[in-house]
Amino acid sequence: MRLEEIKQSLYRVWVLCLKDMKLYYFKGPTIVTGILMPLFVWLAFTVGRGFSFTEDLPALITLASFFVSSSITPIVMPWEARQKSLEMLLSKPVTVYTILLGTALASSLFGTFISFTLVTVGLLLNVVPCDLISLALGIAVSSLCHSFMGLVFSAIPSDVPADAVMLSSAVRLPLVFVSGIFVPIQSLPYYVKPIAFISPLTYFSDLIKKAYGRRSLLPQSIDVIALFLLTITFAVLALATNKRTLMRRL
Amino acid sequence: MPAGSVVEVHDLTKSFGDVKAVDGVSFSVRKGEIYGLLGPNGAGKTTTIRMTIGIITPDRGEAYIMGYNVHKEPVKARSFIGVVPEISNPYVDLTVWENLMLIGKIYCIPKKIRIKRAKNLLKMFKIYEARNRKAKVLSKGTRRRLLLAMALMNDPDILFLDEPTSGLDVMSARMIRSLLLKLKAQGKTIILTTHNIDEAGMLCDRVAIMNRGKIIAKGTPEELKIRYGKYVRISLCFDREVDVKLIRKCFSSSHEVIVQGRRLAIICRSKDLRDVLEQIVQITKEFSLNIEELRASGLNFEDIFVRLVEGLE
Repeated sequence: MRLEEIKQSLYRVWVLCLKDMKLYYFKGPTIVTGILMPLFVWLAFTVGRGFSFTEDLPALITLASFFVSSSITPIVMPWEARQKSLEMLLSKPVTVYTILLGTALASSLFGTFISFTLVTVGLLLNVVPCDLISLALGIAVSSLCHSFMGLVFSAIPSDVPADAVMLSSAVRLPLVFVSGIFVPIQSLPYYVKPIAFISPLTYFSDLIKKAYGRRSLLPQSIDVIALFLLTITFAVLALATNKRTLMRRL
Repeated sequence: MPAGSVVEVHDLTKSFGDVKAVDGVSFSVRKGEIYGLLGPNGAGKTTTIRMTIGIITPDRGEAYIMGYNVHKEPVKARSFIGVVPEISNPYVDLTVWENLMLIGKIYCIPKKIRIKRAKNLLKMFKIYEARNRKAKVLSKGTRRRLLLAMALMNDPDILFLDEPTSGLDVMSARMIRSLLLKLKAQGKTIILTTHNIDEAGMLCDRVAIMNRGKIIAKGTPEELKIRYGKYVRISLCFDREVDVKLIRKCFSSSHEVIVQGRRLAIICRSKDLRDVLEQIVQITKEFSLNIEELRASGLNFEDIFVRLVEGLE
């Protein structure tokens, strides 16, 4: 592939990312599943238990990044198939990978934006991170990881967005409780612990805790490497499964 | 790829489960012509087009656009084409203008050219006034015109249209047909699928007739008429309605007899013409019928199509 072609492909990913942002973000369902849901989950675990906003901000950032980044990616492909715009798009000089990367990028940028908004709110309330680089790296990488994870659910060969939402919720919600955000991993039953270590949320939560000077479970390097590896795994899985089921959507 | 040919399709085959949707389809399209893929619903036209533009991977066979293998270099091949899929939509939550700009950006068209071209296309398709309206509020005909405009945003050499006038009212269909002829006059190559025989006869330079996934005849509409010129269609109108069963009994089973109220059409071999005319005279005497109108002509394109699809040829 020549440099010019690579530049054009990247530009197309960006164009499709902007299109997804315009069409799917800042809309009712995104606000509910991406912003309100993590907020209420966080409130359910903090209110009346002696926690304060300043103390538990890392958990809120973790939840917001996770839910925001992974809430829209499952529905874009089924939605576009239903709207009959997917075939129109596929007849243009783009591949299914370009479309999926645009969707993943939009989602991760949105997750990153919401997470940094919370970081800024924290700064205003004097909750200052002690390791800004880990915080920024963690938010950026995990947002991408979570959005690719959401994209795996979109491979369900259906043009009903609710089917993908149901599947993604069935996986995402339990992950919140086994990834050490509210319940320490050490306290989990032995049969749940393996799941905690394949959850990207575990490493992200650990990294954010560390960035805010809280007690963490794993060394920083392990968290970062695990997040990178899981991002690559989810990306490959998302691209391969969506390509495989694409024909059944058309 | 043969000289002058811009689309080349070799042995395309695709099955969905046990159903062979397309079976060994091959054809080539020359620059500047309108090529029609004709066939009844389910003949495999849409699957053929989808494979030709690289949306579906064939089980066997290859397709080339401007010399590029569409399955090995889909992005390059698709940069030469505009496509209007049969069941497709613009982005309904974007305006007409935003849809065109999106497509322009996907083709990496510089901003100035993009804007100028979008304005020209909107004027050409008479939807300039609707440019700020969201696509979801447009009528079906207007949406189809928008899709055509979107397909032309990159000023393609080749235009693929899957059932371009299907489901449209007479005026919208007529407008699209006249636009296609204009585009042909500008030197564009057009490949369309249709089950509308009149449309194909009116627009296409060459056609391929498909049935059950296979091409069963190819050529210009005129060539097909000559090839099947051994048949004659006799059309007549009696002064009153005739009994279908009785009339059918009067003719040999080798003749195709179509009865509709007072009207009768018989398709027979030229060499049997005399016998058939004698039989008609006999019927008029037997049932005391008067003939108000009688015409004998070669088969029209629709007759040929029906005979091919029904396996009478």
